[in-house]
Amino acid sequence: MSRVEFILNEKKVEFEGDLNKRLLDVLRDDFGLFGSKEGCGEGECGACAILFNDEIVNSCLLPMANVVNQRVMTIEGFSTTKKYKAIEQSFMDHGAVQCGYCTPGMIIATESLLNKNAKPTEEEIKDGLAGNLCRCTGYNMIIDAIIAVSRREDDLW
Amino acid sequence: MKDISISINKVDNISKISGKEAYVGDIKLPDMYHAKTFRANIIKGTIKKITYPNLPKDYYIVDASDIPGKNFVKIIFDDMPVFVENKVSYYGEPICLVIGKDKTEILKIMDGISVTYEEDTPEFEYKDAVIHYDFNKGDPKYKESDDLKLIEGTYDMGYQEHVYIEPQGMIGYFENNKVSMLGAMQCPYYIKNAVLSILGIEPEEEEKNSKVKVKQAPVGGAFGGKEEFPSLLACQLAVAVNKLKIPISLIYERTEDMEFSTKRHPATIELKTLVTKEGDIKQVMAKVSIDGGAYKGLSGVVLQRAMLAASGAYAFDNMIVTGDVFRTNTVPTGAFRGFGAPQMIFSVEMFIQHIAKTLSINPLKLRKKYLVKQGDTTSTSGTFRDTVIMPDMIKKAMDISNYESKTTKYEKLINAGNSVKGYSKDDVYRGVGMSWFLHGCGFTGSGEQKHIKAVVRLAKDANNQVTILIASVDMGQGIKTTMRKLVAHELEIPFEQVTLDDPDTDYVPDSGPTVASRTMMIVGGLVLEATKKLKKQWKDNEEQLIETNYKQPDYVKWDDETLIGDAYPAYSWGVNIVEVEVSKVTYQVNLVGTWSVYDIGKAIDERIIMGQCDGGLLQGIGYGMLEVMNHKDGKIQQKSVTDYIIPTAKDSAKMETHLMNNPFALGPYGAKGAGELTLIGGAPAVALAIENAIGKNVYKIPVTPEYIMELMNNE
Amino acid sequence: MVILPKDYKHTLDALQDEKLTIIAGGTDVMVKNRNWSGLIPRVEGNSINIFQLNELSYIREDESGLHIGAGTKLEELLNSPLIFEPLKAAVREMASPAIRHVGTIGGNVGNASPAGDTLPILYVYDTVIVLESVEGIREISIFEFITGPGKTTRKSNEIIKEIILKNIDYTGFYYEKVGGRRSDAISKLSFVGLYNADEKGTIKDVRIAFGAVYKTIVRNHELERQLLQSLNSEKSMEDIIDEYSQLIQPIDDQRSNANYRKNCSLSLLKSFIQMAGGN
Repeated sequence: MSRVEFILNEKKVEFEGDLNKRLLDVLRDDFGLFGSKEGCGEGECGACAILFNDEIVNSCLLPMANVVNQRVMTIEGFSTTKKYKAIEQSFMDHGAVQCGYCTPGMIIATESLLNKNAKPTEEEIKDGLAGNLCRCTGYNMIIDAIIAVSRREDDLW
Repeated sequence: MKDISISINKVDNISKISGKEAYVGDIKLPDMYHAKTFRANIIKGTIKKITYPNLPKDYYIVDASDIPGKNFVKIIFDDMPVFVENKVSYYGEPICLVIGKDKTEILKIMDGISVTYEEDTPEFEYKDAVIHYDFNKGDPKYKESDDLKLIEGTYDMGYQEHVYIEPQGMIGYFENNKVSMLGAMQCPYYIKNAVLSILGIEPEEEEKNSKVKVKQAPVGGAFGGKEEFPSLLACQLAVAVNKLKIPISLIYERTEDMEFSTKRHPATIELKTLVTKEGDIKQVMAKVSIDGGAYKGLSGVVLQRAMLAASGAYAFDNMIVTGDVFRTNTVPTGAFRGFGAPQMIFSVEMFIQHIAKTLSINPLKLRKKYLVKQGDTTSTSGTFRDTVIMPDMIKKAMDISNYESKTTKYEKLINAGNSVKGYSKDDVYRGVGMSWFLHGCGFTGSGEQKHIKAVVRLAKDANNQVTILIASVDMGQGIKTTMRKLVAHELEIPFEQVTLDDPDTDYVPDSGPTVASRTMMIVGGLVLEATKKLKKQWKDNEEQLIETNYKQPDYVKWDDETLIGDAYPAYSWGVNIVEVEVSKVTYQVNLVGTWSVYDIGKAIDERIIMGQCDGGLLQGIGYGMLEVMNHKDGKIQQKSVTDYIIPTAKDSAKMETHLMNNPFALGPYGAKGAGELTLIGGAPAVALAIENAIGKNVYKIPVTPEYIMELMNNE
Repeated sequence: MVILPKDYKHTLDALQDEKLTIIAGGTDVMVKNRNWSGLIPRVEGNSINIFQLNELSYIREDESGLHIGAGTKLEELLNSPLIFEPLKAAVREMASPAIRHVGTIGGNVGNASPAGDTLPILYVYDTVIVLESVEGIREISIFEFITGPGKTTRKSNEIIKEIILKNIDYTGFYYEKVGGRRSDAISKLSFVGLYNADEKGTIKDVRIAFGAVYKTIVRNHELERQLLQSLNSEKSMEDIIDEYSQLIQPIDDQRSNANYRKNCSLSLLKSFIQMAGGN
């Protein structure tokens, strides 16, 4: 058992337990944040994606040891931001949401992508979504939503 | 009045995008226990002895001996047990649930269970036919002769796994003296009926004093995979909750879900035709074999769907159609978007192309000659009553995709052969393929009238708030939005003045399952009918309750025994065109673009329907070129999303889609079925595109690089 | 128990004390040792987590070659101007952004999967693996380091400190990862070919490696020498291709079959030979 700290949604928090525990389980079981979903448990589907020091990472593959003193932002934290609001609106406008299970992960992937590349091409968007599986939409409407939000004039990214 | 098709925001958008939507795996009841399924690790045989370890306090094992009713999952046939009694019929068949609070302890208990089996020789081949149907059309009297050539084609397809991103899950709990279920499902009343049956409660008894309730949690994708399969989880939990009176959650891990939940039926479809050399198709014969796995489940109805689609989007005068469900010692197969039709439409679309090729006639001409027209007879000798606008749709699809010039160009390229010895990295074959297809809307035959008997209610309260009471489930297809839209639109009241909650069998009547592309056309139709009644009888600030019941249109005549008559009240139609590149070095296929035109009557919300079109098509294309699943000695080989390949964003392509406006007289605002249709054309279109690219006939899906290599090497 | 080392030296001391599972990004260990969700992954014995050891995260170049610290993340390889394009090409196709942000080069090497996507590239670059323990530094060629699927000659007290890629010149580069889909897939097979030609078109160097078609990466120096000769003499390559065909011994599994793996590998080889101007 170890007691460590990390930054969760911009607040310093404590975790006590085995440092091999998956961040996903800590978020869901210890902090009651269930916006990160388990879809596959092996880093393929991206439903559990979170921002780890501003970059997309699968929380199902991240041991707590990696998280010590690092910054983790989940969909719950991100959803309070202005950037989130813009992405949310664009996802709604473009019909990018069906069953919704992959959606928080898609939002995280979008933010991670736009952080690095504010005006991505369609191909770059596809690369950015390569680790997020969606079985409902065929991806087109998600891609359209990301193109649209990245072409906004207020330069959020 | 505004056109109803104009899109509005989906009601659950914000809760889903922000991660607040609580799916079954996100719900924690106070004092909740976990359950894990202990499974047989042989393929076929008998349990000789089973020894459970001593259980610590508050840990439980629930098995067949705890079942109050008869030990089967009530679906159609009484053949699939909830827990193995002693006979094991497939690898991983559930034997018991281990229940407790600490997962580590549960796993320890599972390790301590010892089972002695007597193994039997399993059957994996198509030998043990358990359901058989056949029907003829016209006067199929023709025989092979000098004038009549016999052309044959045998088409094969493997499993397809749903890969809803949310795995199967259910919570059972005991509340107000009721065994209650909350979970991911398409059909709350299927589950309720199955739970009643396993608990030995007669429907009349339940009517008087309700002992069971089922509530739907938000569903993270279903595609048919949460039609009948969740009944198994619910029955297992019901037995446990009935005995222990505690809340228990049973959430599958992905690997468990992929190995042991239902999948699309593998099938072999043999097609034969007797045809003159000019291309007069005198007779078509279809023999359908589908692999039902260890239990019959819904396989009989899936087989029917497949057989009824035996002429695809064409009308042939004389047909002989036979089909069998084969029992094998493998995981039971079940419902999956399209329900037998994808297998048959793939086969028919390939076959008609292959007939034309064999006769050296233009495939497009042959297809057009037999394309269904209004008034033609269906494969089951029913009538296509409504206008068929396929010629316009085909023209539209061909125009926007440049289909004709592309096929000709690509054909020439491949036929010109290639004298180059090797290929450079970027060398590709190009191909384009077009599929024509239809899908019968709603239940097959008299299913709606005889078995479902849908009931819909509208309740208006004293504040004029109208609540829709139906058992239909929003699994992403947006009915929480479209149903409310329908009612608000008809009553000309604000959308917010209409309520629709996730169904709870304590409150909603049985409006039937969320399957068979019936939800908008049938349930929505009843909702609209009720709305119209309410509009007429509207009394401001008074409580009102309106009920409507399904009544089969008078013109529909169907015989369940002979499978003759009108199998469906209406048909939706589609055209898909798919363009691909095939690497000349690795035979990997790259999707270039798709062009689609659909007739679904009328879209109740255009953006929602467009979402169905994109998603369905990519699932169909995945089925056609990517998604390999097979078993080895009865064990599923692709047990993870790492090994079972579904398309990513990079595998997708730009999809251009057009919806025709062709309102169906009996559908709400003209709407017909849409959900399944959009999957059906993907596999044949992509397979035909690959065929066009490589110049070889394709007989099998998925058309993987491995299969293409086989075809290319068989010169 | 998980040891979070204070620094690199502490890591070496800990490894000397007991056999530990080394975890960096976790992208392989966490999958291999998966447990029921909510439970701790079933990592054997105690582990040491080196993810946050900055001392292992660097990319620098000197006369001995390009030194990449074992803890360097895959994404960092993509962003560094020092990294050779062939390695970037492999990293770009090997994994999703979410994996690249935490997965490390040391992990990909230490994991020693025949389908490990950076490995064929590292083989053609004659990569040297630098291992360190309290006893000292040991340098070993990647050919000798990886002995089979998941098997290396790393001793339990050693850590992969860095890898050194020899800087080689090339004028032609051919890389293909064949997976089940266009991204986010484990390789069915992979191929890399490099050649270097002078201004007159004479080929001076040629290197080839195949992934996922044998228990280790397939690279053969003798056949490369023969190939080099043939390329410059316009001799037929058939014998050489036959020889490679003997070396490629793939398996049937849930992702592909041996026949495809073999034939596709040979097609890629032929395609590369054609690119290099051979027959």
